[in-house]
Amino acid sequence: MSDIKMSIESVDKFYGPINDSVAAVSNLSMQVQTGEIVALLGSSGCGKTSTLRMIAGFEEITRGNISIGGQLINRLPPVKRGVAMAFEGYALYPPLSVRDNIAFALKSTKLSQSEITSKVNAIADMLEISDILDSHPSSISGGQQQRVSLGRALIRDAELHLLDEPMGQLEPQLRALLRGRIKHYIKSNGLTAILVTHDQAEANALADRIAVMEEGELQQFDTPDTIKERPANLFTGTFIGEPPMNVFDASVHRDGDVFVFTLGQKNSVNLTYTQDQLGPSIGSMLESRENITLGVRPYAVTRRAEGVPATVMVNQWLGDQSHIAADFADKSLVMVEHDRSPERSGEDISIHLDPMSLHFFDSETGDALSHGGVLVS
Amino acid sequence: MQHVSLIERLLRGVALILVVVFFMFPIVWIVLMSFQTNETILRVPPSFIFEPTISNYKALITGKLETSAASLEINFLRNLGNSVLLSVGSVALALLLGVPAAYAFARHKFKGSEDIAFTLLSFRFAPPLLVLLPLSLYFQKIGLADTYIGLIWVYQLICLPLILWIVRGYFEDISPDIENAYRIAGHSWFSTFRKIALPLAGPGIAAAGLLAFIFAWNNFIFALVLASADKQPVTVGALAFVTASGIQYGQIAAAIVLSIAPTLALALYAQRYLVEGLSLGAVKG
Amino acid sequence: MSYLEVNRVSKHYKKNQVLQDVSLDVESGRTLVLFGPSGAGKTVLLRIIAGVVEPSDGTVFIDGEDMAPVEAEHRGVGMAFQNFALFPHMTAYDNIASPLTAEKLPASTIEERVQSVAKLLKIDHVLAQLPRALSNGQKQRTALSRALVGEPPLLLLDDPLRNVDAKLRFEMRLELPRLLSGRGATVVYVTQDYKEAMAMGDKIAVLNEGRIQQYGTPEDVYLRPATIEIARLFGDPVINLFDVTPNQGADGLFASLSGVDIPLPDLSEQIAGSECVLAVRPENLEFVDAKADNAIPVIVEAETPLNEKVITLAMTTGGREILLSRPAGAPGIASGNAHVAIKIDSTLMFDKATSKLLGSNSNESNRGEAA
Repeated sequence: MSDIKMSIESVDKFYGPINDSVAAVSNLSMQVQTGEIVALLGSSGCGKTSTLRMIAGFEEITRGNISIGGQLINRLPPVKRGVAMAFEGYALYPPLSVRDNIAFALKSTKLSQSEITSKVNAIADMLEISDILDSHPSSISGGQQQRVSLGRALIRDAELHLLDEPMGQLEPQLRALLRGRIKHYIKSNGLTAILVTHDQAEANALADRIAVMEEGELQQFDTPDTIKERPANLFTGTFIGEPPMNVFDASVHRDGDVFVFTLGQKNSVNLTYTQDQLGPSIGSMLESRENITLGVRPYAVTRRAEGVPATVMVNQWLGDQSHIAADFADKSLVMVEHDRSPERSGEDISIHLDPMSLHFFDSETGDALSHGGVLVS
Repeated sequence: MQHVSLIERLLRGVALILVVVFFMFPIVWIVLMSFQTNETILRVPPSFIFEPTISNYKALITGKLETSAASLEINFLRNLGNSVLLSVGSVALALLLGVPAAYAFARHKFKGSEDIAFTLLSFRFAPPLLVLLPLSLYFQKIGLADTYIGLIWVYQLICLPLILWIVRGYFEDISPDIENAYRIAGHSWFSTFRKIALPLAGPGIAAAGLLAFIFAWNNFIFALVLASADKQPVTVGALAFVTASGIQYGQIAAAIVLSIAPTLALALYAQRYLVEGLSLGAVKG
Repeated sequence: MSYLEVNRVSKHYKKNQVLQDVSLDVESGRTLVLFGPSGAGKTVLLRIIAGVVEPSDGTVFIDGEDMAPVEAEHRGVGMAFQNFALFPHMTAYDNIASPLTAEKLPASTIEERVQSVAKLLKIDHVLAQLPRALSNGQKQRTALSRALVGEPPLLLLDDPLRNVDAKLRFEMRLELPRLLSGRGATVVYVTQDYKEAMAMGDKIAVLNEGRIQQYGTPEDVYLRPATIEIARLFGDPVINLFDVTPNQGADGLFASLSGVDIPLPDLSEQIAGSECVLAVRPENLEFVDAKADNAIPVIVEAETPLNEKVITLAMTTGGREILLSRPAGAPGIASGNAHVAIKIDSTLMFDKATSKLLGSNSNESNRGEAA
């Protein structure tokens, strides 16, 4: 299925006078396919919530068009847009029981009472709220309220499901399980969902594609893997990925067939790679540059006997991963290993940065130049 | 959706004007009265157009009240001075006693602390006359009747509960961790009270002090019963304008303007603190 | 020698028992993590050590000295609070300087020490600001600076990373041990985040409902959790739990899972026939070929990536949900039918009735409770 469920075309949002005030969203265009889960990801004030509220119909669209299912919805009231929404503040109806809250939107449909009951029970099972169906919102915990709010949105048969920070309050022990179940539910029912979140773990876990936003502008809109492997710029490169990407400013010079990168000032480190190691097209890109920003993902840092020396500062074992911070070129280089590493702080290690896992960024603009030997076109 | 239509703005303006007129009219009318003679005040129908006169203010300041029947000695300026002395004195005393007490009630819950705090508040429930009768007898016995000290003491019935209860709320709003942090940094509890609790509750203390001042200033019954002419504040002093030959509306109006002026000035000056004080929550953490 | 000793401390407010008979000791220069869900009593215990809350019963010794008669300001501890507890009417500089002004040090010394700690925590450019003008990260660093500046021998950190964003939390988690170890201070660190607990602690005390449930190294707690509850608190995604009744077979102990007989390691206890809970961490489950030994048939329901790992939710034919975790990039199966196997040597067995760990040398890990 590749038909378009929702499309946003050149949308701007101003809260103050048009063009005079700061744009909450500027020139946003994106399309969501039917059956897709898309995450709008960004820090607070990046425009993701304004975007969601424009889709839902709670905010006026200053300029541009939004359509759902091929129909332009700019002027439609929220109720006619065919969207179901889970609100960040839950917005449960206090006088209704959890069961009635979830069933609320179904009451106006043609479903029989027994169909409604079985649907509510099924979704309550999925969200682990079967035991509180007869409670009222005021008597349940924040995490439970959030699950009820999710259930109320997911149970509806809508064109589009909008989920605003849907899992921030979930109990840590339930999180992985519920993420899996909800993803399964959305996929197996063929729903289309847009979730807004500031938590990249949530976006990564659920979304088919992630729209990274910052200061009202779309930075990148791609699959989680592509964003991780081929970030469009330094912002997405450092924003996505936990732990974040290691970034170093380096100077480059060419010495015959060899490129030398000098990282850091006081305890500078030289990385040397041959043209062949870097990849054929990278050489010509580097030719014209004196400075470059170099990034490497923590899990891509490896160790090798003949590597570059670094000193372990901290080695933290988290049960299933080890996080190591090492002193390297005046900064700390973070590495992730999936086994338990024995190093103690103060020990010297020898690390290796594989040229195929290096990301190069323009030092001035922050735009990505190449990823692992492939130039950005 | 956030663009406000013209009609909506118009309606809002009209509503605002109505409210302002409703609340401000008596004050404006009194100010106008204070510049008129009794004759112009009493004419029917009343009119906004008149020849302003400052004779009412002159009479108050010189202390000579001339009526058509006779001339009368009044001592309005002395009354005003009494009001200032009594109000300032009683608020100062109430702050001195009430603020530490409020801190104690806020921070140290002990058995019966709630009861004591409530008892202090209950002074405000009793009808003042009920207290006044026995009190005036006692005061005469022990020589406190008709003294400033005696009056200031009685005024604590008004000021102390007010300050205690308002300021206590402000102290409770300060996160105990902020004070704990200062203690742990190595400072004594008294220094913590002085350097952390007092400044943070400052706006609240100012607000409570101002309210107490206004209540004290407006008090009538205590001074009426317990003070003789030379110790009376303006509220009681104004009674003198009700003379055998009629009520001197002009002078009363002028006296009211003069007597509300200080509280009004104080309230306007302290408005900043009041607003800050009422939104103390924003300062926390 | 232990620098801090908490001896049988209890605390109750009216009828509400917050701490019950808590005993702990921390060696000089070491870090103890108090870990537990909210309401477990961690914060109260920290305040009792700091001297701003009095215990109902029990004693706190710092450097061998009974602290009962010693007021908070004379205990010589430094503390950082979860909500930062900065003095809102003082600049960042004055906030940090407050432990030094109490010592009545000369102004030049104060200036020097504030500047040096501020530089270390990278907030030297905001010292003139009031707290409300600072970002959350800067507030947190100011609060830490204030705790560190007096170089107290005992540092109490009350969930200091809770109110900062995920990125900063990660950064500080790697940076804090460096700051602390440089000073040789003894540290008590309170947190609700198991990763922080494992990363920061030489020892972890798991507190729940006012009692110490387990007291041991991060290794003890993760690899040999004393109870099912603790096993569920440590690890993300959460540990898989299977109700089983082990049987004694010809080749040893085995349990039946979805119709597959899984051999179990021998335990010191006799558990054949009794109701048990088999606990398997998601990283100890792997996809295998259908013909592999003890392969359990499953249907993969969803794949949710998480921090360089891929988490898979699968359903056994018996209707049990299981979570698998593998490093990102490792081969896996994203949907449809599959088979998984349990790395049986890394599993844990609990008694279902008591929820206690079976077959471990549990003396070591329960020492806190016994002391």
